[in-house]
Amino acid sequence: MKSKSFFMIAGLAMMVFAAGCGKQPVEEITSAKSAVEALVAEGADKYAKEELKIANDDLSAAMAEVKAQDEKTFKNYDKAKELLAKAKTTADTVKADVPAKKEQAKIAAASAQEAAKTAVEEAKSLLAKAPKGKGTQADIEAMKADVAGLEQALAEVQALIDGGDYNAATEKANPIKDKAAELSAQIKEAMQKVAKVSKGGKKK
Amino acid sequence: MSRDIIKTSVLLLWLFIFYGCSTPSIPPEVMQAKTQEHDLWRAGAEVYALEEYQGYKSSLKKGNESLLKENGRFGWFRDYEVVTKEFRTLLAQGEQLSSTIQDRKKESYNGIIIEAASLRDRINSLKKITDIINEGRLARNNLTRAELLTNEAGTLISKERYREAAEKLKSASSQLDLSVGIIRPITKRFEDRNQLNKWRSLVDETIKESRKNQGYAVIVNKAERTLTLYRNGATYKSYPVGLGFNGMKDKVQAGDRATPEGRYRIVKKLPRSRFHKALLINYPNENDKRQFAKAKRKGAISTRADIGGLIEIHGGGKESMTFGCVSLENSHIDELFLIVSIGTPVTIVGAVDYENSITTAVRGL
Repeated sequence: MKSKSFFMIAGLAMMVFAAGCGKQPVEEITSAKSAVEALVAEGADKYAKEELKIANDDLSAAMAEVKAQDEKTFKNYDKAKELLAKAKTTADTVKADVPAKKEQAKIAAASAQEAAKTAVEEAKSLLAKAPKGKGTQADIEAMKADVAGLEQALAEVQALIDGGDYNAATEKANPIKDKAAELSAQIKEAMQKVAKVSKGGKKK
Repeated sequence: MSRDIIKTSVLLLWLFIFYGCSTPSIPPEVMQAKTQEHDLWRAGAEVYALEEYQGYKSSLKKGNESLLKENGRFGWFRDYEVVTKEFRTLLAQGEQLSSTIQDRKKESYNGIIIEAASLRDRINSLKKITDIINEGRLARNNLTRAELLTNEAGTLISKERYREAAEKLKSASSQLDLSVGIIRPITKRFEDRNQLNKWRSLVDETIKESRKNQGYAVIVNKAERTLTLYRNGATYKSYPVGLGFNGMKDKVQAGDRATPEGRYRIVKKLPRSRFHKALLINYPNENDKRQFAKAKRKGAISTRADIGGLIEIHGGGKESMTFGCVSLENSHIDELFLIVSIGTPVTIVGAVDYENSITTAVRGL
């Protein structure tokens, strides 16, 4: 009689224990999901794409485990909790790294923008020194338009920086710098070609 | 009773240890599939084979579900045979997907390389046209933007980001279309057969006069940028020339920087000019005055506009950009100056032949 009661109590205790383990880890799920979402908000989709994918994959694996346990009679979310914790840790680790990566991209963009600006300014200043009137005026007029095109493109670089799209800003600034340098070389060449500087002031 | 319980417990413990130790391990294909999925993503599966990648991911999800189901069994009931089979099929699917991605990437690369090359050719052709027609202000701006976008696309191509490169090339093409929109109104006259016939008849009349009078005549062809000297109705000499800032346009009023078109005569020879030597022509002629009055009546120009004048053929170099005059190299004006005299006919036309430098350059834009 004593042993029968013992087994009944033990059985009940086990059931209670099993039921205790069987609660969906809502808090952990929310926490892991929020951590991954925060990662996107931080800009990981631009500056830590691969890490973001890993965090998302970890979260998916954890959620699959949750789903598998949801379908069971005797649920055990221990493994799910472990996977959710891993997803959260991954996300938090990546999140901590994103600002540095973002800052690095920002510095690179600012540097590329500055280099492009300097190159355009140099081309502009050379054009300002170029002789007015005849000689290679056709070339100079065309180059002025080229510089105007470069300045418009520079404004787009600024817009990208303002929008936090630093990598795209760098990718846009570099060709501007190259083209401006090419223009400066052409302007110098054109200036050397000018033999006579004169300006028509008559009625035409 | 208690001995039976002990016996049963020992047996269960032995069974647990025995089967627990022999629990089958997770098949290596599972980890291989995980790595493969990541590699596929990295290779650009989402960009180049989205549908197939989604199918692959769905199979992977099913495989993982089977794995979880199997893992949920007690150790001695686990059997990964089905899971292994599923993952092997998945790995084969991934291999197929990988080659699909590579094929599509190659296809994109080939297409984009051709597109970029064609755009570069278009940019160069348009630049050449802007040089010919002196349209170096508005159209060149768009051409520069197009060039920058094409260069950006080049960087993206080197990073295998073909879709983004294609977008850049699309934007470059739009910039080129804007350039064409600026150039077209200027070049249109050179493709217009009626206009060409008018110019040709002006040239024919001038040559006829040279033949009839057994004298010299000057023909300036804007499209070819040449000044041809005729003697007794036959070509005698030809020189390259420079024109006005808006040289490809017909002069209408003072300050438009266009070079007039029509039949003129040399009215004055200036042996000392600020542009070496100069031959003044009688712009505006009667036809110019009529056109000017008409433009004023129509409101095309200001009522206070002046018709302009003092159009010359002068030195200063063929690369000069004038305010409407025709410029030659100094050595050439020296030669011409000695040959022609006051009264020599000077006819300035846009083009003579339908196949002129401008129609050739704008073809295919």
